[in-house]
Amino acid sequence: MKLHVLFTLAGVEYALPFDSVLQMEGYAGATLVPGAPAYVDGIVTVRGMVVPVLDLRTRFGLPRAEIGLDTRIIVAECSGRVVALRVDSAREVLKLDIEKNQPAPSIVSERSSGFVHAVHALGKRLLLLIDLPKLLGENSHDLPHALPHADGTTRFQLPS
Amino acid sequence: MTGTADLKEFIAAYLIEAEEHLTVANTQLLAIESAQRNGDTNPRGLRETFRSLHTIKGLSAMVGIEPVVAIAHRMENFLRDSDRSGSALPQPAIDALLRGVRAIEQRIAALARGDIAAAPSEELLAALDSLGLSAAPVARAPTSVLDLDPELLAKLAPFEVDQLLRGIATGARALRAEFSPSPERAAQGLTINSVRERIAKVADIVRVLPRAVPVAPGAPGGLCFILILLTRATDEAIAEAVGLGSLNVQGIARDSPTKAVVPDLAPSIDAELDGVDDGRIDTHSRRGVVRVDVSRLDDAMEGLSALIVTRYRLARSIAALTEHGVNTRELSGIMNDNARQLRDLRAAIVRVRMVPVNELLERIPLLVRGLRRATNRSVRLELEGGDAELDKSVSERLFPVIVHLVRNAVDHAIETPDERLRRGKPEEGLLRITCGARSNTRLEITVSDDGRGIDRAAVAAKAGRPAPDDDAGLLELLCIPGLSTRDIVTTTSGRGMGMEIVKRTIVDELGGELELHSQFGQGTTFTLRVPLTISIVDAFSFECSDQRFVVPVTMVEEIIEVDSNALVQVPANEDGSPAVDMISRRGVAVPMIQLWQVFHLQAGKKPPRKAIVVRRAGAPVAFAVDRMLGQQEVVIRPMNDALVRAPGVSGATDLGDGRPTLVLDLVALSASLNTSSQPLARAR
Repeated sequence: MKLHVLFTLAGVEYALPFDSVLQMEGYAGATLVPGAPAYVDGIVTVRGMVVPVLDLRTRFGLPRAEIGLDTRIIVAECSGRVVALRVDSAREVLKLDIEKNQPAPSIVSERSSGFVHAVHALGKRLLLLIDLPKLLGENSHDLPHALPHADGTTRFQLPS
Repeated sequence: MTGTADLKEFIAAYLIEAEEHLTVANTQLLAIESAQRNGDTNPRGLRETFRSLHTIKGLSAMVGIEPVVAIAHRMENFLRDSDRSGSALPQPAIDALLRGVRAIEQRIAALARGDIAAAPSEELLAALDSLGLSAAPVARAPTSVLDLDPELLAKLAPFEVDQLLRGIATGARALRAEFSPSPERAAQGLTINSVRERIAKVADIVRVLPRAVPVAPGAPGGLCFILILLTRATDEAIAEAVGLGSLNVQGIARDSPTKAVVPDLAPSIDAELDGVDDGRIDTHSRRGVVRVDVSRLDDAMEGLSALIVTRYRLARSIAALTEHGVNTRELSGIMNDNARQLRDLRAAIVRVRMVPVNELLERIPLLVRGLRRATNRSVRLELEGGDAELDKSVSERLFPVIVHLVRNAVDHAIETPDERLRRGKPEEGLLRITCGARSNTRLEITVSDDGRGIDRAAVAAKAGRPAPDDDAGLLELLCIPGLSTRDIVTTTSGRGMGMEIVKRTIVDELGGELELHSQFGQGTTFTLRVPLTISIVDAFSFECSDQRFVVPVTMVEEIIEVDSNALVQVPANEDGSPAVDMISRRGVAVPMIQLWQVFHLQAGKKPPRKAIVVRRAGAPVAFAVDRMLGQQEVVIRPMNDALVRAPGVSGATDLGDGRPTLVLDLVALSASLNTSSQPLARAR
């Protein structure tokens, strides 16, 4: 059993492993960044970090939507990168028995460019499981190398 | 799992400490080498080196890094023997010791990466072992003895006595000078520290001994300092340097017909170590010094950033109240106090993050020494540091750049000794590095050589471009990614980073400037100017197409009014690249770029009324914007994710409205407009 965050996009339910989610927030728009890909709304500040907002509708080839009261951003972390995913709504956190995941039918997987890697049947509901590394990974090759972490020390003189 | 966590922390502290002692050992060994080249000895350096290795050995034994213990132990043994014999270190011994230090460094680096420290090679251990055998004590026959109280003499270490006797033998005078501190003298600026500084200009201070004396008019504190000196200056010169008559100077050398009189009263090096180990004796006088992990300072800075953002929100709320007719005079007063306190706090934190620029420079001599040997060039290194300090994060980015420039200079620029003689230059090449604060906010570093200079035509041919007619153009060519002016990859250069990275680090990452001055056949000088600190900057905020932006003040040359009637439209390409206008500024044509067009924003209702002028490669470029909003200190947060990296955007900041505002690098933006016609075409 593993905790998942459930969200919706154009009436379809998706699930994301809870342990990759940092937080969920309401959304009031992002600051435009010139030259960013079309599916990037811009940037927002989360916990003092500047993170890009990915509009999952655009990413999945769905029509754009206005920002509404239900619109949420899910702040997720994946191999050191932090991004915010803009979704129509996100209300539930559920334990899913991942043993019961079914591989996504190839046509689904193809249609979603591989972003959906499995399907989970929960009673009558069908949940699509998101492959987060895949969703973000396409750009990983041109990621900046992480700046060398400041591991040195410095000293200061105590007032005498 | 607390055990592992503790050990991890312990190892981290060990690595830091070991690195520090390795730096000392390197520096001192080089100092010994250079002193010996001038015919002097450097007993103090030898002892420092010994101490460092002794400490490294002890620490390594504590954390169980046996390979390091094995190396350090042998080096320590040899250094102890050398100290006892008072002899100069033979060159092969210095080489072997430096190799030993290098071997320890490699193991420390491996541990830092999480690897295991490899066992040292038998050959290295044998080399270090064999040192001890050849270091026969040198018999000395001093012709003088020291005429000093036995009590004082007992406080001098053997190497200090030796230094004095050697000095006397070469014609210097050994003196003792007394200085008694008093409130009056302190008021005149005379303290033991200032006296020490002044005397150091005319004499070598061998030792300073504090001594309790009876309270007297001349010594109201009941304390006096005895300075044991070696000098070639006259008593008058010394008195003049110190600028007081109260310094009692007398000679302490007396001819001796008999043999050495140095009694074995002084504590041996081992006895002194008892003090070293429990920290009582510490030549660096680290008392009152705290070692702090940079990440903790980053946390403090982060907290401060949050405070500054909150302040903006507060200021907005107050402004809103004022607009509604509320009397906010008292609030404004509090806000002013608050602003001042924040400034002070910021200054305090920034100060804590500062490291002396000399810390950067002290690693250079070893590098040059290695290059000298690898390339068979004869190079003299001149370093000119200063008191300037810079932010640790700037310093960390700067160092690889300096290393690269130094490598290039020794490897490519400075000719072989034969070639230099043929060209009528001194056989020994000169590499000169200066480092100094240029203003309160900028540090200037120059790396110059008197080598062959850069052949513009050759570089241009290599890059497949026309030959540039000035140094700025040449620098631009050199910074083209992947351009190497040498086909052969040598062992010392050719790998690592190119000029392209130098430029990216200095200009793009640090927001600094890079300049080149090269005279073919005569030499090359690189000038780097970088901000002393980053992350919080003074910035102008402005609006363009209803979006707010900020630009650091340091980048802006001028803000001008735009009279739309005075704009000259330049014929545009049909490739969709943004149109460029021209404007006349004091009779000079300045290209003007519409920011909204470059950034693909909606056109404003009215034509832009202001323009921000920046200077790129010496030439002004103007960016038209709608209106200026103000000037304020902003906290710059990096935008690291590849999805939102854009030329001309160096980060984001929060102006208090909860939304990030883009921080623009207009210099980089204008550069990107030149190199590609559509740098910011949206994928949309």
